[in-house]
Amino acid sequence: MVKYDKALLVKCANNLMFDMSDEQYEVLLKEFDVLTKQMELLGEIDGLENVSPMTFPFDIYTDYLRDDVEEPSLSKDDILRNAKDVVDGQIKLPKVVG
Amino acid sequence: MSNYIGKTIEELHELLVSKKVTPLELAKEVIEEIKRENTNAIETLAEKEALEFASSLNEVEEDNVFWGIPFVAKDNFATKDILTTASSDILKDYIPCFDATVIAKLKEKKAVLIAKTTLDELAMGGTGTTGHKGITYNPYDPTHTYKIGGSSCGSASIVAQGIVPFSLGSDTGDSVRKPASYAGLVGMKPSWGRISRYGLFPFAPSLDHVAYFTRTVKDAALVLNVLAGEDLSHDATSSINAVPDYLKDLEKSLNGKRIAYIKELNESIKDQPILDGMNKIKDIFVSLGASVEEVSIDLRLLAAIYPTYMIISCAEATSNNANLDGIKFGPRIGEEKTYQEVMMKARTAGFSELIKRRFVIGSYSLFKDNQEELFLRAQKIRRIVVNKVNEILSSYDAIVTPCGGIIRNPFISNDNISDKLDQGTMAIENHLAMGNFAGLPSISIPMGLDDGFPFDVNIMTKAFTESECFNIAYALESKLDLKNIYAKKVGE
Repeated sequence: MVKYDKALLVKCANNLMFDMSDEQYEVLLKEFDVLTKQMELLGEIDGLENVSPMTFPFDIYTDYLRDDVEEPSLSKDDILRNAKDVVDGQIKLPKVVG
Repeated sequence: MSNYIGKTIEELHELLVSKKVTPLELAKEVIEEIKRENTNAIETLAEKEALEFASSLNEVEEDNVFWGIPFVAKDNFATKDILTTASSDILKDYIPCFDATVIAKLKEKKAVLIAKTTLDELAMGGTGTTGHKGITYNPYDPTHTYKIGGSSCGSASIVAQGIVPFSLGSDTGDSVRKPASYAGLVGMKPSWGRISRYGLFPFAPSLDHVAYFTRTVKDAALVLNVLAGEDLSHDATSSINAVPDYLKDLEKSLNGKRIAYIKELNESIKDQPILDGMNKIKDIFVSLGASVEEVSIDLRLLAAIYPTYMIISCAEATSNNANLDGIKFGPRIGEEKTYQEVMMKARTAGFSELIKRRFVIGSYSLFKDNQEELFLRAQKIRRIVVNKVNEILSSYDAIVTPCGGIIRNPFISNDNISDKLDQGTMAIENHLAMGNFAGLPSISIPMGLDDGFPFDVNIMTKAFTESECFNIAYALESKLDLKNIYAKKVGE
C-alpha cells in the first residue's frame, strides 16, 4: 500500500499553497490511516484488471456550433470589484521581477 | 405564523392567480419567516433584491406556475450582484457579476429568489457542520442533537420548515438526496447534464449535479420542467437531449413495472422502522401491479463506493479550486512580500481544516507514484460499479433503496475505527453516490416517520428517464400519506 508520513503531507499541503497546524496534520494522519485501510478494500474487487478508468458517466454530445454573437464584455469595475488590492485599474501584487 | 407556510408551488400559484396574495406580499411574509428561523440556514438574505423584483410583478401570469413563487438557493450558485460565499471564508466577500443558468431560468420564469443558504464549505461534506457560519440544524430536532446532513443543509432546512416550496441544491455524492431523508423532503437529482451547471461552483465536475428540494413529487416535476435543458451558449455541461413535459407521465400505471431491491443494502439497515418501511413499500408496489425482486451486489463493491468517491472527488476538487488564490478575489491577509505569499496566506486563512484535509487527500492520490494504486484504481472501481448498476437497470425499471441505515444521525460521531471499516455501514450510508458515478436520475421521497422524525426512500432509474423516476415516486407518494410534510405540521 502507498506510504505516507507527516513530512509528505506537509509537502502536499505546501504544493497546494496552504499550511496547516501540527494538530491538524495529526488529524490528517489519522484520516489517512482510515482511508488507506478503506482503499485496501478496493484492491479486493474482482475484475479490476479488465476495465479502463472511468472519467465521466457518459458522453454528452454537443454536435452544435453556436452563432458567434457579439456581446458586451464586462466593465472594468465589474472585473476588479472582487480584487482586494487595486491600483490604477490593475490588481496590485508584491513585486514579481527583481 | 405566515398563512403561506407549507404551501406547494401549485397552491401558491392558485393564491397568486386569484389575487388572494400578491408576489410582493408573499415575498414579505417569506422574508419575515426567514428572519425568525432558528436553524442557521441562511448565508445572505436578499431582501432588497427580492422586494424590488416582487414589486415589479404586477401582471398575473396564469399559465406560468412559477410567477411570483419564492425560493432559496444554495450559496454555491453564482447570483449577480448578490454575495455568494459557498460558505467559505475564502469567498466571504465575493459578489458575482453573472447569474448561474438555473438562477437565470428561474428569474425568467419570474420566481423570486429570497435568500442564499448555508452549505458544508464549498459543498465538500455531508454533515451540515463545516460552513463558515457554523452548524445548520434540523428543524425536526429542536434538541439540536441530530444532523440535517449536507452539503445542501440550508436549502433543506428552509423547505423542511415549509417557508418556501422549493430550493436549489447541488449533489456530488448525495448532498441533496441524503439531507432530503433527514428532513422528510423530496430531493431530486436528475441525470448528469440534464441541468446546466454553468455558474455552479465546481467541486468534482464528473460527479457534480444541480439538484433541488420540494415537498411533493409533482412540484419536483414542475421544477425540472424549468431547469432542464441545454445552455449551449454558455457551457458544455448540459445535454442537448430533448426535454419532455415531466408532468405528462406522472399518473401512469405501474402495472408490469419491475423494481429491484438490493439485498446487501437491506441487510445493512440498522433501524427497524426503515426495514419496515421498505417492506411496506414492497407491498404498495405489488398492490399497484409492479413486481419487486431482490438482486445482489457484492458487499465489497458497495463498501468500495465511499473510498472511491473520496479519492475521485478530492482529486477533482484539488484542481478545480486552484483558482481560489487570493489574487483576483479572496482575502488579502497583509504583509505579503511575494505573490506566492499572497496565495499561501489567503488559502491558509481562507480554507477550513476539513477542506485542506480533502485537498491533501486529492493531491496525494494524484502523485505519480500513487496514481495507479489510488486515483486510477478508484476510476476503475467506478466503472465496475456503474457497469453493475446499468446491468441491473437493463432488466428492471428502477432500483429502490433506503437512503441510509439510520434515522437519526447524531452530531457527536462515533470515532471507532472498526465502525468506519464496517462494510455494511460503508455501503448503506454512501450508496447513493452510485447515482453520481453513473449520472442517473435519483429521487428521495419520504418513506416514514419515527416518533416525528422523517426518513426517505430512494428511486433510481436509467439515464434521462426522469419521467419514469417521477412516475414511480408519484405512485408511491400517493399511497404513503407523507405528501407535503414539514416540521411544524408533523410536530402538531
